[in-house]
Amino acid sequence: MGELLLKADSIDKHFGITHALDHVSLTFNKGEIHALIGENGSGKSTITNCLTGIYKKDSGTFTLDGTVIEPKNQVDANHLGAAIIVQEIGTLSGLTVAENIFLGNEDMFISHGIKNASAMNRKAQQYLNEYGFDHIDAARSIDDYNFEDRKLVEIVKATYFNPKVLVVDETTTALGQKGREELFKVMHRMKGMGSCVIFISHDLDEVIELSDSISVLRDGVYIGSIDKADATVDILKKMMVGREIGDNYYRTDYGEAISDEVVISAKNISVPGQLDDVSLELHKGEILGIGGLSECGMHEIGKALFGASYFRKGSVTLADGTSIDSIPDAISHSMAYASKDRDNESLVINDTICENICLPSLEELKKGGFLFGSAMKAFANKFARQMSTKMTGVDQFVSALSGGNKQKVVLARWIGKDSDLIILDSPTRGIDVKVKADIYAMMDNMRKNGKSIIMISEEIMELIGMADRILIMKDGKINGEFQRSESLSDMDLIEKMI
Amino acid sequence: MKKIKQSQFYGIGILLLLVVAFWGIFKFLAPATFGSPDKLLTYAKSALIYAVGGCGLYFICVMGPFDFSVGANIVLSSIIACNFSMRFGYVGLVVAPLICGALIGLCNGLVYIKLHISSLIVTVGLSLIYEALSVYATNGKNVILSTSYRAFGDYPANLILALFAYCLCGFILKYTKIGTYTYAIGSNEVVAKNMGVNVPKYKVIAFALAGFFFGIQSILTISFGTSMTSASNLSSMSRNFTPLMGTFFGLAFKKYGHPVIAIVIGEMIIQLMFNGFVALGAPTTIQNVVTGAALLIIVTLTTKPVKGVVVK
Repeated sequence: MGELLLKADSIDKHFGITHALDHVSLTFNKGEIHALIGENGSGKSTITNCLTGIYKKDSGTFTLDGTVIEPKNQVDANHLGAAIIVQEIGTLSGLTVAENIFLGNEDMFISHGIKNASAMNRKAQQYLNEYGFDHIDAARSIDDYNFEDRKLVEIVKATYFNPKVLVVDETTTALGQKGREELFKVMHRMKGMGSCVIFISHDLDEVIELSDSISVLRDGVYIGSIDKADATVDILKKMMVGREIGDNYYRTDYGEAISDEVVISAKNISVPGQLDDVSLELHKGEILGIGGLSECGMHEIGKALFGASYFRKGSVTLADGTSIDSIPDAISHSMAYASKDRDNESLVINDTICENICLPSLEELKKGGFLFGSAMKAFANKFARQMSTKMTGVDQFVSALSGGNKQKVVLARWIGKDSDLIILDSPTRGIDVKVKADIYAMMDNMRKNGKSIIMISEEIMELIGMADRILIMKDGKINGEFQRSESLSDMDLIEKMI
Repeated sequence: MKKIKQSQFYGIGILLLLVVAFWGIFKFLAPATFGSPDKLLTYAKSALIYAVGGCGLYFICVMGPFDFSVGANIVLSSIIACNFSMRFGYVGLVVAPLICGALIGLCNGLVYIKLHISSLIVTVGLSLIYEALSVYATNGKNVILSTSYRAFGDYPANLILALFAYCLCGFILKYTKIGTYTYAIGSNEVVAKNMGVNVPKYKVIAFALAGFFFGIQSILTISFGTSMTSASNLSSMSRNFTPLMGTFFGLAFKKYGHPVIAIVIGEMIIQLMFNGFVALGAPTTIQNVVTGAALLIIVTLTTKPVKGVVVK
């Protein structure tokens, strides 16, 4: 048992009528990686956001190394010894890499009100080099770098001052393999220095592999903690959900014949720098899985098929020969698309659940040319409840929902639209096991009802477990095709990915 | 080619090419009445005045809000400058409008922050008050700057003062916390707040700084024009747009790292167009249509926004 570093004592937090944290008490030790797990909306991010000054708690105390801390914001939390790497992008456009790293801490480079930009750049470059990220130029604009490199900058920003507590909040889902390895290196370095890493992840295998101890929250209540030695995926699932959840949430059928009817056909699709001469067909009632490494081009396929890729070459046609060249084309021909980037590309984040669900179905909801609030609410309510969305009501703003419930709103929208062809990009990204099981059941149900689904996923087991056919991509091309089979293993797919 | 496009001088190169192109076109169409070296110096004289205001407005626009009281600020500050020059000479001419401009900016910022309403509504509402003050300060009459204090109306004093303003703007943007926070707030206000940036404070500072630059523009305006009439019924609004055009250029070219230079060259392009049409004898309405269209075309073509990008 390590020495106590951080004590969260009776932390309480409400968001309106939602009780996000119900007097949660937890302890974290020096020199450990302590995982915090739970379903979406269980309060994991809320408690760490309170710790790092992003949210203000209603009551309770955080005691770090014997001192009660009350951070006003993230930078204040940094000064008090706590830092966080958030799930979504946390760097600011328009600033240089160095300005992003030292944002809020510029004073160390300011003398008589004048900022020594070259000293700031030098220091930032020194840190980047020390972390092995020397391909990133501190003096350049952050906008010159991709999502993954920007995450690496965030890692440096959150850890260069060696915080006593580092929160890693669902960061791994945003990173490719290389980025994950770099993050894990930093986590282990922090642990070795006697700091505590609070690791939030829905990947239970990853959690067991990396963590020394694991604490579970459910519906804002602390459920319990468990040592790595005693943890199994089943035990953790049971603690998270409150009941047994087996591994059988994937499909169990094998050998079912797929219809010969092709519903959509893509021929010679190319998108400069992302897709190179890709052709594919999707059959009626089929789940077609598309996998690969993060930058292999698979995410662009979803956009290209949905008419949302602006630089697409090649053709996408439906069974009746209709060409799909724009998003309105796709929607009017019963196609649906849920992007990987939920907050920016799928949801109107500052609007209500009702407006989000009704958005593509407004024409159908019109009566005599007018839209009626009561009809819209009834429609949204029906499909939000069908997806078991955890909400106070359909008037609730989507921005206040957890990641999993946001995804449910996206899916409820397309179920409400009754689309025949659904493209799901990373449908279970950052989502807990219970919601995953719900989504898989929904997909299986849709398949049985003759709907066709394209599932783009970075999770190999999800592809093997759910797809009738799997295409593996590498460097913008299809590098392998697998039929659904009990004997199909993750190694078969990985071989074609790398 | 990609390396050239990423170069910080690429944007400036495009703007300079546009200057040459517009000069060439109008010179070809009106060789006798447009574009001689003397005339170019006159166009530049106007451009450098508006570019100072454009620099001020840049602090506000890059954050997201807007200031529609630029014209009212310039009218009131110019009148104050004129009145104070009669009592305190050049000291009054310079110091009074700087204080007046900055105070107006400060007032705009404070009202915007405290009332939590759109900057557009706040600054339009306050413009009416500033215009009323200008009528009060002049008794509704025209004020004329004494011939003894008109040095800033011509070279080299106007150029020196304008260069001071440009350098100050560039310096604040690049070498102070205000500059960093201005961009941070403009990029994502919530993240900036989480990073400890006092967002309301820096918004007020941006408005006050903008007002200070409008104060400098007032010195140049009253010195160049030598007289100023009070404004009413939002007639000062017409003075908003020329500095704003420069700001548009600054915003469009900020990705190349030199917004201030883009503002100055952008104002020169606007002056070449205005004066080109005058030389051609085109009616004012046609001038406005072509100038507005040209501005949109230039900014669209030169910035080449990524397809599908969300522009607010």
